[in-house]
Amino acid sequence: MPINLDLITGAFAFLFTVLIFSYLLGDNPLFRIGSYLFVGVTAGYVAAVAMWQVVYPRLIYPLVYGTQSDRLLAFFPLLLALFLFLKISPRTSHLGSPAMAYMVGVSAAVTVGGAVIGTILPQTWATINLFDMQTSQSWLDVIESAGNGIIVLIALVATLSYFHFGARPTADGAPRRFAPVEWLAWVGRIFIAVTLGTLFAGVLLASLTALIERVSSLYLFISSFF
Amino acid sequence: MKYVSAFFAIAFGLLVLAGYFVPVLEPLQALLISWAGILLAVASLIGVFNLITVHGEKIRSREKNSGYSSLLLVSLVLTFLLGLALGPSHPVMQGVVESIILPVEASLMAILSVTLLYAAIRLLRRRVDVMSVVFLLTVLAVLAWSLALPPYGELALFGNTLRPWLTQVLALGGARGILIGVALGALTTGLRILLAFDRPYGGK
Repeated sequence: MPINLDLITGAFAFLFTVLIFSYLLGDNPLFRIGSYLFVGVTAGYVAAVAMWQVVYPRLIYPLVYGTQSDRLLAFFPLLLALFLFLKISPRTSHLGSPAMAYMVGVSAAVTVGGAVIGTILPQTWATINLFDMQTSQSWLDVIESAGNGIIVLIALVATLSYFHFGARPTADGAPRRFAPVEWLAWVGRIFIAVTLGTLFAGVLLASLTALIERVSSLYLFISSFF
Repeated sequence: MKYVSAFFAIAFGLLVLAGYFVPVLEPLQALLISWAGILLAVASLIGVFNLITVHGEKIRSREKNSGYSSLLLVSLVLTFLLGLALGPSHPVMQGVVESIILPVEASLMAILSVTLLYAAIRLLRRRVDVMSVVFLLTVLAVLAWSLALPPYGELALFGNTLRPWLTQVLALGGARGILIGVALGALTTGLRILLAFDRPYGGK
């Protein structure tokens, strides 16, 4: 008798959905069984993916089957990987620091490059481009674009002011921000609240969609037997 | 060892950073990032090994609730061995993803809706100030203006004018400010690491 993989998949999906939904009644053993199994399966899957898609094709394969130059290029990461394994034991942990330092240094450089090229410059240009009136076809369009651009610019500056924590001591010794920065920061709080509210509503709508999908899948699985 | 570590972080970090601005260094930058990718994969394997050690220790010392740790270890080892033998794209492994990982993730996301609603109600009861009132009014406005009323569908004034203005003008400015603020923070942190003011890799 052939194994119906869809039925097994559906049964497991049903079971795990029920286990996780049991959290609505509070933290309980069913939820814990579901979450521990989930962590175990996910960790095992991630480890298998790391082995199959990175470690084997980019480290082991070039060392075993690659040309002389491939082997030479794979030797340095192999050395660092071996040093990284020394992090497992507290006694040899300090020997793994150079490998860790390599990862941290490269990640920091990628972060710096990404922050400048991927966020700061594009977001600044996008804000400047809001005042580009070349595509506007009437005076009404110009007023609308300029008005929206001014609001976005004020929101941007005010939000950045909120995160400016430079302060000077006053006569009574308490630190206080420069007055205009303080006012801008207050306006910034309002815009941050609007932004977080919009994000919150988006996440709530997404999670409601997931709730509907899960309840629908439970209903479909049960109704498939009748 | 701390000088070697600092040298590795600064030298390789600066080479990768230079690759963004000097085209000749781009291949070297790609190679260094590729090596970092291999090390990240190895680090994730070490992380999994650490998970096994921690839960193995819980089982060995018969700690309270160590039964859950046994479940975790059995499921981890079985999935890893199965994945290692068959490969992650094998139908059986895809079945594991579709029957356990995806349903649990979707269910956790679904539970989030209840938690978020509860948190919003608690916010109004615990802290009533300008920020929380504006926050909740925005949430209500976005939710209400996203509603499609049968048989009319989405109301034009809300769906085409007010909601886009709220989300694409008012919220956009704040989001852009937060994004640039986060990027400036990341830039500063990255530069502090590259200049060895901060050494989160073990060198004191």
